[in-house]
Amino acid sequence: MLPPLVRKTWRDDRRAIIGWAAGVGAFTAIYTGFYSQFQGAAELKQDALPQGMLDFLGIADMLSPAGYLQATVFSLIGPALILMCAITLAARTIARPEEDGGMEFLLANPLSRKAFAIQRLTAAASAISVVAAVPWLLLAILIPTIGMDVPFGNVSAACVGLIALAWCFTGIAFLAGAMSGKRGTVLAVAGTIGVATYMANALSNVSDGMSWLKWLSPFYYFIGADPLHTGWHPAHLLLLAGIGVATAVAGVALFDRRDVGV
Amino acid sequence: MLYGMTSDIAVLAEDLTKFYGTRRGIENLNLDVKTGEVMGFLGPNGAGKTTTIRLLLDFLRPTRGHATVLGLDPRRDKAVLHRQIGYLPGELAFPGRETAAELLKFFGDARGGVPWRRVTGLAELLDLDLSRPVRAMSKGNKQKVGLVQAFMHQPALLILDEPTSGLDPLMQQEFLAMVRDARDNGQTVFMSSHVLAEVQSTADRVAIIRDGRLAAVEKVESLGRRAVRSVEIHFGDPVTAAEFTGLPGVSNVEVAGPVLRCTVDGRLDPLIKAAACHEVIDLLSAEPDLEETFLSYYYHSEGAPDVAAAGA
Repeated sequence: MLPPLVRKTWRDDRRAIIGWAAGVGAFTAIYTGFYSQFQGAAELKQDALPQGMLDFLGIADMLSPAGYLQATVFSLIGPALILMCAITLAARTIARPEEDGGMEFLLANPLSRKAFAIQRLTAAASAISVVAAVPWLLLAILIPTIGMDVPFGNVSAACVGLIALAWCFTGIAFLAGAMSGKRGTVLAVAGTIGVATYMANALSNVSDGMSWLKWLSPFYYFIGADPLHTGWHPAHLLLLAGIGVATAVAGVALFDRRDVGV
Repeated sequence: MLYGMTSDIAVLAEDLTKFYGTRRGIENLNLDVKTGEVMGFLGPNGAGKTTTIRLLLDFLRPTRGHATVLGLDPRRDKAVLHRQIGYLPGELAFPGRETAAELLKFFGDARGGVPWRRVTGLAELLDLDLSRPVRAMSKGNKQKVGLVQAFMHQPALLILDEPTSGLDPLMQQEFLAMVRDARDNGQTVFMSSHVLAEVQSTADRVAIIRDGRLAAVEKVESLGRRAVRSVEIHFGDPVTAAEFTGLPGVSNVEVAGPVLRCTVDGRLDPLIKAAACHEVIDLLSAEPDLEETFLSYYYHSEGAPDVAAAGA
């Protein structure tokens, strides 16, 4: 039997979880579904864009199935949707109830501070993982249906990368909320880190002089090694998950030490 | 037994102090609430009532000092302790969009299960419709949901922050009956208020807090006995103020022809003896008003050391 607080957290976040899952699902399905119609246009688009722009967008080639998936589902909008979902749901664990006053009733549960924070995070992180796994599920169905020629192991590697990226930012957002209790801080900190590290990875593709920047970016560990062509990179995935776990542990510890709802 | 060695003391605050940065919440608060008593916790808004309550619940951590609740440490033993506490916050914001029934089911499950007839019984008593979403409820109905969740698991200690705010007079009476029942069950009640009248009829003792410090702890009845009362005497003939001004306990003497108005602190005897020299037509003594007593503490202890008042 799951703890009542975990079930309560899911119930309160139900609409948001369903909404994000539907949005991510629609995005994945529509882009992937357009693959066959897109073939001619892709050629034009790739010719039309200068190589520097393609490098910046992380688009290797749009003609192969792997390149197409990379350029659509995994390049910008897909990860951006998943990260927005992760950050907003993580903000709801502590920061939002603390700001709107609902925290008094939640924290009055007979749980230690740590257990409270862990249960809230567990509920949010599992929901975020489900949303982040939606592309994986859909691609498992769509790729054979459409007949895209890309090894499913490679697709899985990229999809698991998406989940690991979501964990990384869930941890960062949770830490910001557990420390500050303010939703604005969560959005500012996690949003800034998200945009800055995306830019760092993008710029590292453009110029050799800036290629060191990629080591600072979660986006590099997610997609930089080109899992759609090269398959699994366990060290990268573990690093992303590790950042998520480390920030989550820090968040639980800091929440245990501070005043709540002041 | 969970309560340990201090089973006769439900809440103990020792030099409890909380600063928010440099702003004072409460300072050196010493207070004990005995097991099985109803204690009113009074003070104007901003005096530190909610700060004290949040320290007892481990939402806040003390800057100095220590609190013991049901013999346990609020932080270390939070999980065990909160099963035995019923808490009503001063500001009600319920998490989620559920109906009252769903929300109360969650509170019951989280506290290890509560017989559902306890919930429906309380809801009936307070005339609360459990099938409506809590978010859409009026302030008064939200307050009822808050009261049901505080009382539903029959906790050893009820900590209620401004419990009657938003309730109409009829429901206030129901609430006071619930508090009396709780006391009859051996439960301890610690309830804050900024209105004396509402604790007057139920509380055994009253703690008065002012500017973050404890101003006084009094039994409700002795608070009444000490009360400053206003007295008006109508005489047969005009009198002079000088006859009454020096009398012990008498102050604010005003004379208008045959009518004397004054305030008396403590016994009426000296005033009555002096008045008996004249023909007395009428004597009016206003019922000792706790509200005035309460206010007099604020005036009297202005600048004076607080211990003088707390010694009672």
